[in-house]
Amino acid sequence: MGMEQAWLIPAIPAVAFVFLLFAGAYLPRRGDFVAILAIGAAFLLLFPVLIDLLDKAEGTDYTAGVKSWEWVQFGDFEINIGFYVDPITIVMLAVVTLVALLVQVYSVAYMHGEPRYGWYFTVMCLFAASMLTLVLADNLLLMYAAWEGVGFCSFLLIGFYWEKRSAAEAAKKAFITTRIGDVGFLIGIIMLWEKAGTFNIQEIIAFAEGGGYDSTYLTAAVLFLFMGAVGKSGQFPLHVWLPDAMEGPTPVSALIHAATMVVAGVYMVARMLPVFEVADAIALDLVMLAGLITVVISSLMGLAATDIKRVIAYSTLNSLGLMFIALGSGSVTAAMLYLFVHGFFKALLFLGAGSVIHATHKQEIDELGGLARKMPTTAITFGIGTLAMIGIIPLSGFWAKDEVLIFAEEEQNLIVYLIILASLVITGLYMARLFIRMFLFESRDPESYSHAHEGGPLITVPLMILGVLAVIGGFVVLDEVGEALGFAGGFGQFVLEAGHPHEYEFHADTAIISTVLAAGGAALGWFLWQGRAETATRVRETFAPIAALFANRFYIDELYQFLINRVVLTLSAIVSWFDRNVVNDTGVDGSAGLTYFTGFELKFLQTGKIPNYALAISAGIIVLALVMIATQV
Amino acid sequence: MEYVLLALVLIPVLVCPLFMLLPSQYPQLTRYVAALTGGVLFGLSLLVFVVYQFDGGAGLRYELQWDWLENVGFLGENGITFYLGVDGIGAPLVLLNGVVILAAVFVSWNITHRTKDFFVLLFLLVSGVYGVFVSQDLFFFFFWYEVAVLPMYLLIAVWGSSSHFGTFTRTKEYGAMKLTMMLVAGSVLIFIGIFALFVEAGAGTFDMTEIRRVGEEGGIDEDFQKWCFPLFMVGFGVLAGMWPLHTWSPDGHVAAPTGVSMLHAGVLMKLGAFGILRVGIMLLPEGADFWAPVLMTLGVTGALYGAVSALTQTDLKYMVGYSSVSHMGYVLMGLASMNEIGVNGAVLQMFAHGVMTALMFTNVGAVYDQAHIRDMTQFGGLAKQMPRHSAFFTIAGLSSLGLPGLAGFVAEFHIFVGVFKAGYWWAGGLGILAAAITATYILRMLARAYFGPANEKWADLKEMRIGEQFSAALLIAMILFMGLWPMPFIDRISQTVETIPGIN
Repeated sequence: MGMEQAWLIPAIPAVAFVFLLFAGAYLPRRGDFVAILAIGAAFLLLFPVLIDLLDKAEGTDYTAGVKSWEWVQFGDFEINIGFYVDPITIVMLAVVTLVALLVQVYSVAYMHGEPRYGWYFTVMCLFAASMLTLVLADNLLLMYAAWEGVGFCSFLLIGFYWEKRSAAEAAKKAFITTRIGDVGFLIGIIMLWEKAGTFNIQEIIAFAEGGGYDSTYLTAAVLFLFMGAVGKSGQFPLHVWLPDAMEGPTPVSALIHAATMVVAGVYMVARMLPVFEVADAIALDLVMLAGLITVVISSLMGLAATDIKRVIAYSTLNSLGLMFIALGSGSVTAAMLYLFVHGFFKALLFLGAGSVIHATHKQEIDELGGLARKMPTTAITFGIGTLAMIGIIPLSGFWAKDEVLIFAEEEQNLIVYLIILASLVITGLYMARLFIRMFLFESRDPESYSHAHEGGPLITVPLMILGVLAVIGGFVVLDEVGEALGFAGGFGQFVLEAGHPHEYEFHADTAIISTVLAAGGAALGWFLWQGRAETATRVRETFAPIAALFANRFYIDELYQFLINRVVLTLSAIVSWFDRNVVNDTGVDGSAGLTYFTGFELKFLQTGKIPNYALAISAGIIVLALVMIATQV
Repeated sequence: MEYVLLALVLIPVLVCPLFMLLPSQYPQLTRYVAALTGGVLFGLSLLVFVVYQFDGGAGLRYELQWDWLENVGFLGENGITFYLGVDGIGAPLVLLNGVVILAAVFVSWNITHRTKDFFVLLFLLVSGVYGVFVSQDLFFFFFWYEVAVLPMYLLIAVWGSSSHFGTFTRTKEYGAMKLTMMLVAGSVLIFIGIFALFVEAGAGTFDMTEIRRVGEEGGIDEDFQKWCFPLFMVGFGVLAGMWPLHTWSPDGHVAAPTGVSMLHAGVLMKLGAFGILRVGIMLLPEGADFWAPVLMTLGVTGALYGAVSALTQTDLKYMVGYSSVSHMGYVLMGLASMNEIGVNGAVLQMFAHGVMTALMFTNVGAVYDQAHIRDMTQFGGLAKQMPRHSAFFTIAGLSSLGLPGLAGFVAEFHIFVGVFKAGYWWAGGLGILAAAITATYILRMLARAYFGPANEKWADLKEMRIGEQFSAALLIAMILFMGLWPMPFIDRISQTVETIPGIN
């Protein structure tokens, strides 16, 4: 067992999917245990793979493991199904398998009694298989295939409650929005292939670093690739689908729309970062810019959102934005570290929210409150998640954010740095609001409060495990911890095995600034929303237009809807009209009509009267005779 | 094996008199005979497809050449021969025809009006399609081509349906007439082209392999190729749904009964694309090379135009009809790329589009038979009453929008790569954009008609018939086969494609 067998990690859930699809209905408990066992097996398989990777490492130089099968081959064109293991893969695999396992266990309780219980676990298996394939893919085309696969599972799961119009619409919106990004992704893949003649990621990187691509061409290609990441990871301007995706069951939001699928864009860019670095600087600048805009608008939108899942969704956008800022600054380490810890604390927040929704059947922030007394475990773990998210030392979110800040300070200009710092305050503010309004003070809906209670161990144990991970997850960044875990040189050097060896340094000034700002934001949140939140209401009324702007998500969704209704559908109506009236009724029927008309007119020549025909014959003879005479002369 | 080809062409013809002899008061008997014939045809088609791989050597196999007319008048040695043979392009298409006819028989199970006549015409059509795919003689190629087209007129005019769409009406007679007239107009161009080519080659034979040999030796003048190719491109293009000569297709679908729509979009439109490849590109490579940019432009226009038109269609059959125009546009793009990857993709797309459109029409038929309307805005939440039907329709839609793992992706991806490789980056980009628009109209339809709150009006709809489910399962099996394991198709196709002159 080793890296060569890494393909088993996605293969096991894939087999479980096929099995559940056909046999699930006949199994006890609709086969939920099959799904859990499959993902559990995938999680356990991670360890032999990791140990093999560490064994084969020489110092901090990690040799990657590869296994590949031919899928399509003719002439000099080939597509492989190949699996590739390197440190970035391991980080991502760890997040995906662990969070998926915890979420699946949690789902057994959360989804209990749902009409399509078996279907849920079946699709979750397909998701796990696709996501793990995406992570392990050694070539861009397999990655694209898995990328579409996870998007499809996301479509199915957002639309899990498809009887609700809003869920059906949200599922459609998510698929189409990400698909728009994927147009670019596919174009980018083909562009990279055209010059390099291969889809293999490592070969493309080598080709790019060897100067095989023309600089402008490569810049265009990577920006097309980045479009795919923008769509999948919900970056501005394609961020609109992610908040709506909260229509899906909460465990789905935790797994797919927080911990795993939405970070696929970050992962893809991290994988391809060497290629981005070869391209013109504008490419990474645009990556950074997309992240920056997303950070700003998502913070502000999160401030005004009232649905607890949506608030967390905006915080996800915020985190994803920070990861792209890290990538735009050229740091895979910071981005992957953030991705790693984010998986834990964001899944924790969603599962905590799910626990509250499960207990109260409410998810509007104004209908909750005081739940800490009824649900202490959820409250404590959610509190840990909140603190990790806003980045209070020494929780995991702090270390990751700190890395991003250090890089942003070094690589970007002051304005960018200040904007990021400002967003920290706002994040602290709205996360504090969320926690205060959910768990503290008096409930605003006594009826649901009265029968709220903590869920069983299937709900609380995953919360506690994630809570612990959210506390300690960030310590891997410390080189000593990394070495103790067996990574020579620590996390920084583990993730970036070549190129940029990065040793972790603790910047006390950055740490102090960020913690003070985040804690300040949270304190401001306390000041505004404590008790009956009168202060906050007053502030909101004072700045009503701005609050409306935030609450309406800057009217971006409305703008898109307007463009779709007024521009796209109008264009389609015009084309359809053109097709029917011009191409068909004029072009096709017109030529038929002309034939008919000609025939109709000509038929009057056939009068049936002998004199008419005799006249015509005589006239013909005379004309011919004249012609003959004229030509003879 | 050559007699298997002969059987494929002749069984559907010979079964027609048998149908006529069956007593018409037992329509069920007719259906069983039809199902049996369909099963035999499917089995033999599968046999041809499978065995082709193991019989080594590229190019034409299982040749059977019988003299019909020679050494008379303008005809020389082997003037007109009944010449059958299958190559790597023909093999998957033979399989496609077998799959679609078997599925169409089960879907047509509920035809009660003149059941015998219906199946006679249906099998006559199928025999023509097989004939085109395996004929190696231009004369018989054209003969079978006409045999495939003409029964369509009666099938639509007699068993079709007329529809009113508020501002306009489409009667079945109109649909049938337009389809026939446009296709026959195309045939005229093809006919002229065939004779011109016969004269130009000067070999006194309609044998395509012979004409191709003459061409490879430089016997077909380049200028001739340049003016002759458009005759084939446009003539066959009509049947391939080439923009702007596509309007017979959506209107034909709207008028046609379900089983006929399946054959129409599933195999008939492929004859057009196949003709462009087999006669146009193979025999006139320099002409094809000259006209490739035009074909590419028409193809990409069709792909985008069809997709954009489909966006606002509310009638399910119009939506699928325009989606066919769009997908056939991809086939033309693949052919116009004139390289191995793109042309492989075009042939793959012929197969992929054939099975997924047949599946779509199976599903449209299943809901139309019960509800007697096809307006998607009138439905809602059908997934509740018809879960399997919804799943099948979703799979067809996903293949259509190019989800990896299903047939559509394999085909479209090859086409896009081929088109980019040929340097038409703008066409490739627009083609990929059209695939995203496809996602939009498919998901819009699914969200509108199949998901969302259930519409009480349709609470008594039932799951699709078991026969329809069988057809759907068969077609889905093919979609998955090609989507997950495309190599059997690509092996066969590329063996032949790489031998075509002018394809690099």
